[in-house]
Amino acid sequence: MPIFQLNVNGKRHTVNVDGNMPLLWAIRDVLGLKGTKFGCGVAQCGACTVHLDGRAVRSCSVDVGAAQLSNITTIEGLSYDGGELHPCQKAWIELGVPQCGFCQPGQIMSAAALLKAHPHPDDTQIDDAMRGNICRCGTYPRIRAAIHKAAGDRT
Amino acid sequence: MSNVTRRKFLRDAGIGAGALVWGCYIAPDDLFGKLSLPKLIHEGVPLGKDNFFVSIVPIEGTIVITTHRAEMGQGIRSSLAAVLADEMEADWDRVRLIQARAASDKYAIKFPFEVKNELPFPYEKTYTLKEQYLIPAEGSQFTDSSRSMTAYFKPMRLFGAGVRLTFERATAKVFNVDVSECHARQHKIYAGNNSIDFGDPRLLFHASKLGDPKYVDVDDALKKPKDWVFINAAKKPMPFADAEDMVTGKPIYGADYHLDGMLTAMIERCPVANGQIKSFDATAALAVPGVRNVQRVLPPNLPPGGVGQAFIPHAGIAVIADNTWAALKGRRALRPTIVWDNDQNPNAAYDSTNFRQTLKDSTASKGNLVRRTKADVTDADFDSANTVEAEYYVPHLAQAPMEPPVATALFKNGTIEIWAPTQNPDGAQQAVGRVLLNIAPEADLDEGTKKRIREIVTLHMPLLGGGFGRKSKPDYIIEAAFLAIQNPGVPIRLQWTREDDIQFSYYNAVSSQYMKANVEGKKTTALLQRSAFTSFFGTLFPESRAKARAEMFGGGVYPYGSGIERAQGLEDMPFNVPKLLIENCPAKNYIRVGWMRSVANLYHAFAIGSFADELARKAGEDSKKYLLELIGEGRLLDLPSEKVALYRNNELPIDIINLPVEGSQVRQIVPGYPPDTHHLRAVVQKVAEVSQWDDNVRKYSGTRRGLGIAAHRSFLSYVATVIDVSFNEKDELTINNVYTVVDCGLAVNPDRVKAQMEGAVVYGLSAALLGEITVKNGAVEQHNFDDYPVLRIHQTPRNIDVTIMEVDKETPPTGIGEVGVPTIAPALANAIVAAGGPRIREIPFYRKVKVLL
Repeated sequence: MPIFQLNVNGKRHTVNVDGNMPLLWAIRDVLGLKGTKFGCGVAQCGACTVHLDGRAVRSCSVDVGAAQLSNITTIEGLSYDGGELHPCQKAWIELGVPQCGFCQPGQIMSAAALLKAHPHPDDTQIDDAMRGNICRCGTYPRIRAAIHKAAGDRT
Repeated sequence: MSNVTRRKFLRDAGIGAGALVWGCYIAPDDLFGKLSLPKLIHEGVPLGKDNFFVSIVPIEGTIVITTHRAEMGQGIRSSLAAVLADEMEADWDRVRLIQARAASDKYAIKFPFEVKNELPFPYEKTYTLKEQYLIPAEGSQFTDSSRSMTAYFKPMRLFGAGVRLTFERATAKVFNVDVSECHARQHKIYAGNNSIDFGDPRLLFHASKLGDPKYVDVDDALKKPKDWVFINAAKKPMPFADAEDMVTGKPIYGADYHLDGMLTAMIERCPVANGQIKSFDATAALAVPGVRNVQRVLPPNLPPGGVGQAFIPHAGIAVIADNTWAALKGRRALRPTIVWDNDQNPNAAYDSTNFRQTLKDSTASKGNLVRRTKADVTDADFDSANTVEAEYYVPHLAQAPMEPPVATALFKNGTIEIWAPTQNPDGAQQAVGRVLLNIAPEADLDEGTKKRIREIVTLHMPLLGGGFGRKSKPDYIIEAAFLAIQNPGVPIRLQWTREDDIQFSYYNAVSSQYMKANVEGKKTTALLQRSAFTSFFGTLFPESRAKARAEMFGGGVYPYGSGIERAQGLEDMPFNVPKLLIENCPAKNYIRVGWMRSVANLYHAFAIGSFADELARKAGEDSKKYLLELIGEGRLLDLPSEKVALYRNNELPIDIINLPVEGSQVRQIVPGYPPDTHHLRAVVQKVAEVSQWDDNVRKYSGTRRGLGIAAHRSFLSYVATVIDVSFNEKDELTINNVYTVVDCGLAVNPDRVKAQMEGAVVYGLSAALLGEITVKNGAVEQHNFDDYPVLRIHQTPRNIDVTIMEVDKETPPTGIGEVGVPTIAPALANAIVAAGGPRIREIPFYRKVKVLL
């Protein structure tokens, strides 16, 4: 099987896998980073969202081969492990966003990418950026409030 | 019987530990000898001989609280622990939580004294045992029916207070002062100028010498509401222990365990319930790099599961591989080679479109009597000019928790170890034990066998990535166990895909409700309801055992509904109509049926809540006003006088249970939870107030904006909801505001109560607007979130306003997890009519109105 170089959370990894393996499974099964979740496998739910060069992508639908030249950030790397939490993570805790918590890494990765592109998003921009992330517990109202809070805007 | 002899008696009787011991007893042997250091650090020393909920690490003073219920988003892990810590006066920063394994016998709650009285239902079922239980062992960890806080609030308080009382008594010995001078506060006991930390070995030594405090003393020692810290967020918000982990990706969910040598399995299942494998060819799958093995899941002697086979899974063929991707690829290669055998299988003819007509036909004739007023309803009560008739339909629905089912199992030396997200750890443990001991799926187990199963099956509980009822069924855990047994010594992680989850759920029942009423002038004089739904009990038990099981679960021999389902909004229909007749009509199962958040309340509340609005419109009255008129003056429902033989009040007593305790003192042991329409009226009035119903109804009259209202009691709580919708010039529906009011007794953790109610609005809207599982040739037609859509953020109302009713702080807490769902569909349907849209009598609504997709 081919060998790929993956740059994840600032660290270089060499993985020896099928080139069509979705990035999600390389991250979870090969690198052992379990914060990125499997929810649907077809880019419908957003639980597997990671950053590829700062953009939010569904890692279940990116081949590992296509990711090897990019800087990949997972939820574990968002706050530079042990460092200060990302403003989204802080806002999520302050507003008690999570319920079961399973989709929240993906939600936060999408929200963090949104804030990078639009530091003060309005509700429509939030809808557009976050509609790819499903939460069955129904935490959407608090997600919206937490994004505004992380942006330093009204909550 | 004294405490000690009673406990000895229990052990002799083989019932085991699990008694609620209110105090603190630490054997010096345990403290200084038998326990190893790592065990001490991780688990501490138990406070109380048979107490499994709380222990302490000596010197360090860390309080270790065992959380025994499934955490799936309700926040119950933190909430119950915080209740205990609050009563103990523990410092939350020095509290550590550990998640219990499956061990139901440890978490039963017994009456803390001998009970001679005949107790009312539901306790009669436990009467055959030699002890009486407040909460029996079986089910003590089963996180269903929104019951965790209702059942464990008082026991957790008593535990905490018992430990605190014992610590205060021990402090009196340490400092040689009177116990009245000793008071616990924030992990210390103060006595005059002295103080002693909870971890101080002197304190623990003296505590270990004290006997258990008496129940009445502990009961008296309970904190007064004014002294609460976390409970009801009196002084501080309730802690949310897992929040930081959840936002940093740290917690362990079902798929996140890593075991050395672990392989990943995926299963291709027969799409039809009870179907068999005719043939398959493993060659192509085995040729996929990383695939290790292809094997049948079920042993050859076991008929495949589906309907009437307890939780035995569908027939399936597993692909076992080095990682998830290889398993997925192998399964794709295997799929086209499989030939299923459904030649003799009646389920293969199941078609949900045709079945809708079957249900409708079922409600066209008289069903089993559920409830009727003294004055019987006859055809003469309906005058064609004044009659209102309607039929309501709710299709099968899938729970679709974000985490698809997953389970890891390791079989070694005749024992099995499981790591799995489940709402029912003890149920799953027993189900796996049957597999291991080769016991028929529906056979009753004696206590000895149950005990043996607890010894040979270990089940670890991670956090659940949502449950909503799906993970109350152990089928996926049984699959993992079957595979592990075929691969001894190899940990097998069985991963379900989303397609597996949507296609092999235990679906919420499909149901049809026929409603008919007579409206004379403005008054509804007669009301008939016929409910047909596919009962879960048809899925669980073979027809041969239907009668025996019906006795156990309170009436309704399959294909009629069980007592549990009938009690969810049908038997306790709240309207005070002079003539009332409620019937249950038969419906058979052809796919697996289970429970989804709010269960039978979902379809009963949809029908009743919508019909109330139809009656209001027929009478030409305001919907809120008419709803209150239908409910009538506040009253306690007197169901026995209306032919309801055994109303299963979420398995809790209707009346208060007061019992003599330790001599002549009488104490309230269980608060009663009567269905009381005073509360229903109050939430209706409150939601009208917060939604400014009267003003807004007037304001929107004649426009394309309108309000709808509905109210319902479920899981002992009362909810009323107003939804405000409008249509734009393109006839597209927008939900502007949702106002929902809940009376759940004492809101122990107000923020999580709000969170659950917000989530329930989203879950309810999801079901109402979009929810639909259809079946053709016995196979489910939906696959993933593209064809089984659920609500997304852009479809969620910008304003979801939750109000918690203020109650006396001594009011016992009632259910919260599911109670917010039932009112959503009817309130939305009613709002759509108010805004000039069509009357929608079937889910999903998007077939009738344009919804933003």
